[in-house]
Amino acid sequence: MSQENQLTEKESLELITRMINKAKDACHDTGITAIMWGLVIVICSLVRFAELQFEFRLPFDIYMLTYVAVIPQIYFSIREKKRRKVRTYDDRFQDGLWLAFGISIALLIFIVGRLYREWDPVNDQFETLTGTAGFKLYEYIAAFFLMLYAIPTFVTGMTMKFKPMFWGGLLCWICCIASLFLPVKTDMLLIALSAAGAWLIPGIIMERDYQRAKKHLANTDV
Amino acid sequence: MFKDLDPILHSQLRLAVMSLLISVQEAEFTFLKEKTNATAGNLSVQIQKLKDAGYIDVIKQFKDNYPQTICRISKKGIEAFEKYVTNLKTYLGQ
Repeated sequence: MSQENQLTEKESLELITRMINKAKDACHDTGITAIMWGLVIVICSLVRFAELQFEFRLPFDIYMLTYVAVIPQIYFSIREKKRRKVRTYDDRFQDGLWLAFGISIALLIFIVGRLYREWDPVNDQFETLTGTAGFKLYEYIAAFFLMLYAIPTFVTGMTMKFKPMFWGGLLCWICCIASLFLPVKTDMLLIALSAAGAWLIPGIIMERDYQRAKKHLANTDV
Repeated sequence: MFKDLDPILHSQLRLAVMSLLISVQEAEFTFLKEKTNATAGNLSVQIQKLKDAGYIDVIKQFKDNYPQTICRISKKGIEAFEKYVTNLKTYLGQ
């Protein structure tokens, strides 16, 4: 492109539109992270469901997989940052939103662990003394996680105008309400369903769009 | 009455650069080069002109031991771009 070319008014407007579209096309996110986290949560929840359903126990807590998944997450983030030649206004917002979500989930795990430690002895004593069933704290834990899953997913769907995530976020909230009325075993299926609807499927769609945009950009010239 | 179009913006490459930058927060020199398909020398000259006009900010830094140039549209640049588009529309009778 040469700067010497004098443009007509119509050509100017066309050039502006073309360049804005080019910038927009270059800002497609990869769906790798969403696919990875979607898969991890689906696997963890289904394995936990199988443990409860078929009454067996793995020698380790399957949810430890979520800690392991942090390693590829760091790798993907660094790779993405290095590859990124352009930064949009949405990028910073999205980074902050998902970081806040990660911190909140870590805090919730810590709070739940603490609650169990404090609550279980009190509950046991209550059951021994009264002979009646105590308050089953574990029945309500899934609802908190599902409520949190929905927030960044829904906000991302809204702000990025990405419908699969918008509906995924809503699905998490619906599953959150349903989990309050269903047994813990079913909660595990609801978590798997939510993770698939909120991250796995939107991630696959996002990755497909990204690959298409990459191919399209490689074939176009100014 | 028709208003004069900003001569700084009314050139193909400079307008292309401004149109790319208006859509993003910041972009690397290599991104602008890739999208405009301009030569590095020509693009550098035009970026310098936009910088001199106060339309963009240019940040030079190092990334992984390699020099990196980042361009960002300034407030003055946004105003000039908006005015340019408004004037264009007047010409086109939109």
